[in-house]
Amino acid sequence: MWVIIEEVRKSFRILLAYPVEVVFWIFSPLLWVIPLVFQGKALIGAFSSTPFGSLAGTDEFIPYVLIGAIVSTYMFSAVWSMGNSFRDETYYGTLEHILSAPVQPGYILIGKGLYNSILSTSFVIVQLLICVFIFGLNITLAKIFPIFLFLFLLIVGLYGIGFMAAALTLLIKEAHGMLHMFEYVLFLFSPIRYPVEVNPITKAISVFIPLTYALIALRGLLLNIEFNFWKNSIILLAIDCTLLPLGLFVFRRIEKRTKTRGTLADY
Amino acid sequence: MSEQGRGLSSRVFHYLRAINAENIKEWKIELTYKPDFIRQFLEPFVYLFPYFLYGFALLGGRYSEHLRSMTGIGDMVAYTFIGYLFIGFLNTACWAMGFSLRKEQWFGTLETIFVAPVPRWVYVAGMALHSTCHQGLIMLIQAVAITTFFAIVLQTSGIFLALSAVLLMLLGLYGLGIVVAGLTIALKQWWVVSEALSTLIVVVTPIAYPLAVLPFVLRKVAMFLPTTYGIIGVRHFLLGENLAVSLPTIFLRLSLILVVWLSFGMLVFLIMDRYGRKRGSLSVY
Repeated sequence: MWVIIEEVRKSFRILLAYPVEVVFWIFSPLLWVIPLVFQGKALIGAFSSTPFGSLAGTDEFIPYVLIGAIVSTYMFSAVWSMGNSFRDETYYGTLEHILSAPVQPGYILIGKGLYNSILSTSFVIVQLLICVFIFGLNITLAKIFPIFLFLFLLIVGLYGIGFMAAALTLLIKEAHGMLHMFEYVLFLFSPIRYPVEVNPITKAISVFIPLTYALIALRGLLLNIEFNFWKNSIILLAIDCTLLPLGLFVFRRIEKRTKTRGTLADY
Repeated sequence: MSEQGRGLSSRVFHYLRAINAENIKEWKIELTYKPDFIRQFLEPFVYLFPYFLYGFALLGGRYSEHLRSMTGIGDMVAYTFIGYLFIGFLNTACWAMGFSLRKEQWFGTLETIFVAPVPRWVYVAGMALHSTCHQGLIMLIQAVAITTFFAIVLQTSGIFLALSAVLLMLLGLYGLGIVVAGLTIALKQWWVVSEALSTLIVVVTPIAYPLAVLPFVLRKVAMFLPTTYGIIGVRHFLLGENLAVSLPTIFLRLSLILVVWLSFGMLVFLIMDRYGRKRGSLSVY
């Protein structure tokens, strides 16, 4: 437990050495929505679209993409931050030190995952508050518990993916490009910006991504779109039960492999 | 040739060799990480498709009457594609050039490079050459694939002028790349500067929408960006977009912006370089 706490503390100390980063992560998902708003205005000439409504359940595309952008913070955090967490240690020159410490590397990984979860959740809360106070998003107290439930279910599944991403960097070293690519693939096949029903391929692949179910549920709660609460919760839970142990297993195997082959210190 | 002239030409030749050496070095490093190298050619497609799909979801098809009434182009795919194709050079400036010095720091070679017998701008110019070649290749592949897949017909008669506009835009963006590279020396965590700048430029540049949809203030800001004139110029030549500003004005402003941005970039870089060495923060992480 102490290892996890110390890892979280260390990560926050490093983050606070670069305060500009914190500001950037709070505002950037909201900034990414702006081009979509202008694109919508140019294509439709209004802020609502009937074809969009028939696919998404709401004609208003701005709140739709805004929620997608906010929730995608978790995706970036899981894939990008978790994936790069061990690569950063290589750059700092501390990877060998932490992995040769007399603790299970899995605890260090969980510490990094916990740090990223706390950070992303703080960003999401600030972003939601901005949406409530500036854009007039309506969140009643009764919805807060289900919102956090779905966010929790999403985080667990995504960090399973994040653990595998961390393992990937141990294996192929310069993996930031691959992580970016993976991030874009998730971005393409999840209903972050548009309803995946727009294309049969995106619809078929989105079924395997936890973000799809979380976004359906969160948009349902926040925008009052009809959705099946239990179905989405159970699917997310099943995905979590698969991805989390799988992520830890893959990380353990690859970490052992890099140690056996002596490639841990390779650049 | 006089002694002075020979000295100057030998110095220029020396710099050009150093610029090319930097270019070659970057290709070698990139080819060491093959999966990442291949990924760079696939990424633009994955990046572009969400914009198309978003457009399809909004329109329920490919063509927009509203867009046609504003720009003269009704094809959302062609309009968006040309915008995002050439904005790829923004990544070249902000990421590749800005990233260059931080990467050397990670590799532990920044100080070694900085004591080489060439001015620092030569190093950044080498990175610019490499990233232009690399990005150009990526864009060529992307252009062939997307135009074939979506059956986009381009006006080839305007290709020379379109490329001239792109060249001026690119040189202007180099100024931005030099600013980011310079700020990296002082701020270290380069990517925040890079990402913030590129996000703001992407918002203000009329990539997937015409200038007319932007609020008044952002429209004014867009007038100072090379990407604005580059993109609307290219789209006019290749797709026949109606212009809000005349062609001579576009080329005149692009030339002015390029002089201002390059000079400003060099100035910031030299100040940051001197500041970093004076403070002794060059090797600080």
